[in-house]
Amino acid sequence: MVSERLCGELQQAITALSWSGDGEFLAIASAGGELLLLDFRAGCEDLLRAEQDSSLDAIGFSADGQFLMAVGQAGELLLWELGGSGISPMALQPMPLGCGWLDAAALQPRGLLLAVAAGRQVRIWDGAVRQWRLETLDLPGTVQTLAWSADGLQLAASCHGELALWQPEGSAAAQPLRAPTASAGLALAFSPIADLLACGQMDRSLLLWPEAGRGQPWQFSGFPAKVRGLAWSDQPGRLAPPLAVASGDTVVLWQQGDRGERGWKPEPLLWHQQRVNALAFAPGSSLLATASADGSVALWDGRGRMRQPLEGEGQGFNALAWRPDGRRRPGPLVAMAGGGAQQ
Amino acid sequence: MAFSSAVPAAERLPVTVLTGYLGAGKTTLLNRILTHEHGLKVAVIVNEFGEVGIDNQLVIDADEEIFEMNNGCICCTVRGDLIRIIGNLMKRRDRFDHLVIETPGLADPAPVIQTFFVDEDLRDELRLDAVVTLVDLKHVLQHWEAEEVQEQLAFADVLVLNKTDLVDESERRSIEQRIRAINPVARLLTTSGADVPMDQILGVEAFELERALSLDPGFLLEEHAHEHDDSVGSLAFVEERPMDLDRLGTWLSDLVAERGPDLFRMKGIIQLQGEDNRYVFQSVHMLLDGDFDRPWKDGERRCTQFVIIGRDLDADRLRAGFSSCVA
Repeated sequence: MVSERLCGELQQAITALSWSGDGEFLAIASAGGELLLLDFRAGCEDLLRAEQDSSLDAIGFSADGQFLMAVGQAGELLLWELGGSGISPMALQPMPLGCGWLDAAALQPRGLLLAVAAGRQVRIWDGAVRQWRLETLDLPGTVQTLAWSADGLQLAASCHGELALWQPEGSAAAQPLRAPTASAGLALAFSPIADLLACGQMDRSLLLWPEAGRGQPWQFSGFPAKVRGLAWSDQPGRLAPPLAVASGDTVVLWQQGDRGERGWKPEPLLWHQQRVNALAFAPGSSLLATASADGSVALWDGRGRMRQPLEGEGQGFNALAWRPDGRRRPGPLVAMAGGGAQQ
Repeated sequence: MAFSSAVPAAERLPVTVLTGYLGAGKTTLLNRILTHEHGLKVAVIVNEFGEVGIDNQLVIDADEEIFEMNNGCICCTVRGDLIRIIGNLMKRRDRFDHLVIETPGLADPAPVIQTFFVDEDLRDELRLDAVVTLVDLKHVLQHWEAEEVQEQLAFADVLVLNKTDLVDESERRSIEQRIRAINPVARLLTTSGADVPMDQILGVEAFELERALSLDPGFLLEEHAHEHDDSVGSLAFVEERPMDLDRLGTWLSDLVAERGPDLFRMKGIIQLQGEDNRYVFQSVHMLLDGDFDRPWKDGERRCTQFVIIGRDLDADRLRAGFSSCVA
């Protein structure tokens, strides 16, 4: 089903990777501050940032493929303007935010807004005018993570004790919605279809809002460890689309059977020996990939049956991403090890 | 709650927590740690960026943020900022082999210490090496009533009495006595300019059970309770008769359930009925840890030594509770 295609290496452990929306570019960041851009159409690679001895922790492409962003230990927002295949990207002036290590930033789907977690604020850089917006989203604690809704209209941010929902492009008078969470949200994900918001928490629980953060959430507790990874399928389930949750070495596949309190059924997927660091459903498919610190990747079908185990070369896997490719289903999977890449 | 990790200590990264009131010399000591040729690559987490005047990508700023994990229970209070920053930093683990964390001058060190035992990630990736507290001999008496000062003294494994050049011998001795009344088990170093041998503050292994009480051998030749007006103090018990592990365990778990927030640290070497090996024990607030240690040596004085450091200790009641654990 999947075979090893490519094995690349950076000097330092890989922290993040991201495909451009058209699947033509793959960006790879490392804990040593390297940023490598692979250009598949031109068949070349470009080291945009050599080792700087300060980690990069979040990267991403704008929806239109115009910008590539990276944030990390240096506390600066780094941006490159992409000129297309075969053209070397142009670096914009780094923008220091003055609030320590940056590890959460997310580009808007279907838009040009970039949300950056800067201490207790979420700041918005607007790619259309290349400026910071004046409005910010303020939280009572340090922002742990961020997520945009699939339509790009809503932004969710979490800190210890609170989840805030904001519409950066709504009217200025529209106040953010705030929901108490009793713990720190470590992972946030809106479902690509239906209108659900999931929040994985430090206290080993999962919150699930049926109406994109409004109303009363379902709360599921008793996970074996912090809930640090979430992935929604883009395929409709019986009601909601399936949700995969990573907690320690365990992956739990949740499916909604009915709309009642007990309507969500968990299916534990037990195979990894160490912490599951990343998981993602293949676009347009119910195939789930999970990557672990034990150096293995597993592929699961929509009913939670193991389809294929993939072993690396001993190093743990930190990240994975499916290529968003409309022509081939599922597109290639990229999994990243501590120091290398496998496709 | 036990505070050992399933991961062997040798595989975890050692962490030194550096505390001390404002002006005690923490920054001077941090600069020494960063420039000293001790062969260790040290990463430092500071609470105010720029105070350490050394350009180094392994000096990282953290903004103290307290997470109350369990309805405000003091023993489940941790530093959320450290969990996040150290989580990021551990991806670069091959770049350093020791971590030093500076706590703010006006902070209780307990949340930092507990972070390394309570947080599931940090517990398995790091091990607390020692709490090092700097004391400004010239000014400490002016701040003596500050809760933070007494907590910092109480939690210390190593006490660096700094600025000894600014006080005379009798002042120093009197301060030392008052400090000993709060903390009879810490290693004492006296210096000026925060100039201490690095091997006395890094690689101490004070939280390794087998080392927990070995810093100052024979520290409790006689039992004593220090009578002082300070609300924070210590009690030390010595018992020649063997103890019963079940009774001791019940007494300790009841004790921390009731008085946990006031019990800063406890340490003990226990002589158990019918056991040839020593049993060693330590606690931080409500976190308890105990295990069998080496056999008693021939000629070694076989007795139980037990120290409690805490606030408003009721000596008679604690003594009675301890004695009820005799087998």
